[in-house]
Amino acid sequence: MGAGVGCPREGKVYAGNLNVAAKRAREILYGKLKLGEVVDWATTFSLWPVHLMTSCCGAEFAATWSPRFDAEQYGALPWISPRQTNFIIIEGTVTRKMACALRVTYEQMVHPKFVIAMGACALDGGLFYNSYNVVKPWEVVPVDIYIAGCPPPPEALAKAILDLRKKIREKKMASRWLTEGWREDREYLVPKEDVCRWWRP
Amino acid sequence: MSLQALAEVIKERLGTLAKEVRIAKGHVEIVTEGGRLTEAARALKEMGFDHVKSVTAVDYPKEGKIRVTYHVSSYLKEDLSKYIVGLSVDVPRDNPIVETLVPLWNSAEFFEREVFEFFGVHFKGHPDLRPLLLIPELAEKRVLRKDFVVREEGIYEGVPHEYK
Repeated sequence: MGAGVGCPREGKVYAGNLNVAAKRAREILYGKLKLGEVVDWATTFSLWPVHLMTSCCGAEFAATWSPRFDAEQYGALPWISPRQTNFIIIEGTVTRKMACALRVTYEQMVHPKFVIAMGACALDGGLFYNSYNVVKPWEVVPVDIYIAGCPPPPEALAKAILDLRKKIREKKMASRWLTEGWREDREYLVPKEDVCRWWRP
Repeated sequence: MSLQALAEVIKERLGTLAKEVRIAKGHVEIVTEGGRLTEAARALKEMGFDHVKSVTAVDYPKEGKIRVTYHVSSYLKEDLSKYIVGLSVDVPRDNPIVETLVPLWNSAEFFEREVFEFFGVHFKGHPDLRPLLLIPELAEKRVLRKDFVVREEGIYEGVPHEYK
């Protein structure tokens, strides 16, 4: 017996029909949004975070994508490789050695890319305030959204993703980045030679 | 075996190798002199202490010494595995050199690297004595010594204003 024989839905594509989807999207969007706004709208549904776990907030990161909180409903899918992602969540303290890894990971990601800094340590040191070995993440990468808390609960991270989506659409972050190449207001504070100066191959 | 009995056994076994054997809070503490650390460690290993749980150091600037402590325990001997034994050695602060215990206990290797970078204690005979966690220029400052001054930050240095 062949596959699908006797099945009442024979001949249909269960995963979704691209033509139908495109037609419906056209009905919704045509004449209402500009092309740049469509890009922004589409980017908000494809925020893929790279998993760079610098500290203990990574546990909350994992809980956010668990079935209970399910951040994947916002279109955010955690991915391993920085080359296929456009979104990074700094999960806690950034030490001097990790700062270099953070910058290298950020530079490998595709445009347009966004950053959420998570937890008190990423804000201004938190528990490790006045430490000799902690850098503030905003010196290393340009941060879009900060979350307070030690650690922030999964709901806070989910809210931050929603806020980031709102910000992308309101300030046209994705489309401006694509038309202008690199956003001038997102310049690095510290040059890479300083972040990675300890690194000698 | 109770903690008291373990201390007695250790005292008997080490004899003159130990300057002092006493029961601290929940563990046995041994203090040896500089040249006798390896012999004392070998005696402990023959008793059945087969791994190092941690290596740490305490800085005493007024007395001019650094006390390096090896915390050892056992995996294989069940009656010893309940206890932790601290094996300490005092070294002068200006020239801290300790004979390495890596040939005896392999698990001491990374801990000794940590003590090296944080306190500047040199371990003679260590196979790979490089800084482990800190960047090299920070490791040269011996950051966990008491005379290292931590950079004071203001109450709120501030985050750059929100980009618009």
